[in-house]
Amino acid sequence: MTTTRNGAPPVEGVITRDTPVGYELVGVKKKAAIQLMGSRLWGRFNPNHWDPVYAAETGLDAPIQTGEMSTAYIAEMCVNHFGRNFFVGSQMNCKYVASTLANEVITTYGVVREKTPKGGGFRFKVEVWADNDDGQRKTVGWVEADVDV
Amino acid sequence: MTSTRPATDDLRPMTEIQVQQTRDFVDSLNEKSQTYWDMVTVGDELSRDLHLTPELVILYADGVEDYNPWYEGWLMNRWHVEGESPFGPAIVPPMLVSHFVLSVQFDHTKPFAIGTIHTSHESQLFAPIPVGATVRIHTKAIDKFVKRERRYVRHEVTVTDVETGTLYFTETRDNLSR
Repeated sequence: MTTTRNGAPPVEGVITRDTPVGYELVGVKKKAAIQLMGSRLWGRFNPNHWDPVYAAETGLDAPIQTGEMSTAYIAEMCVNHFGRNFFVGSQMNCKYVASTLANEVITTYGVVREKTPKGGGFRFKVEVWADNDDGQRKTVGWVEADVDV
Repeated sequence: MTSTRPATDDLRPMTEIQVQQTRDFVDSLNEKSQTYWDMVTVGDELSRDLHLTPELVILYADGVEDYNPWYEGWLMNRWHVEGESPFGPAIVPPMLVSHFVLSVQFDHTKPFAIGTIHTSHESQLFAPIPVGATVRIHTKAIDKFVKRERRYVRHEVTVTDVETGTLYFTETRDNLSR
């Protein structure tokens, strides 16, 4: 996959007007680290996100990540592939179908499912999801973004 | 006999004083908390303004280990910088404002409804948000419903620039209440 010298995604992304339906995005992989899950800006307001005792009292097997962390991981993958195009006129839908537990490793995935002519370019529709290392699905959804429109 | 109940320090090392501080903190959160279902009436509208400082953006991005330099309006050693993105100066990560919606939809003048779980969102991104902008996050409770014996609250959200009125972001989101 194309990257740049300072670690930024390519400005125009790697999905171009020539990218076919079926193209598989390269995901990102993250560990659900309890220190990040319970940081003030993310989950500290809700002990379900970092306290094993409170999580157990509410019926959870372990503290769970905020779903928005999965959304952020999937968005990072999309920015890597759509570049600047992901910030203008895009759509992102996610459903958190299972909880991400502390210490799980999560990988994001995406496949281009549709490509519709729009303006001078195309609107791409990408199925996205996030799984743990056992293949258990945690988040499902889809995104849409314009290229060359 | 070994207890199967989890301990406060199961997932990170702590001394006795850290464990006690943690238990005290959780107890304080739990004290006055209502369920979210009881807090919300369909039609409730709430709005707050949020200044997207460079430091706030860094805290968000570091929490999800997203090190894209487009989001950097603050750098160690140099501190405040204009930054650089495809749109000029630094911008905020695409879904950042979605994370702050909860601080609006959960009326911040009341104790937070801990135990609530965010279950889905449908989000539209209209324009990049510059680091340093002040955005107005407006939420409206549009539905409360029960599905498979679970209680959900649904909100509509808009995010606009306080100064220019630019519409940046809209969203529909569901939360599962205790």
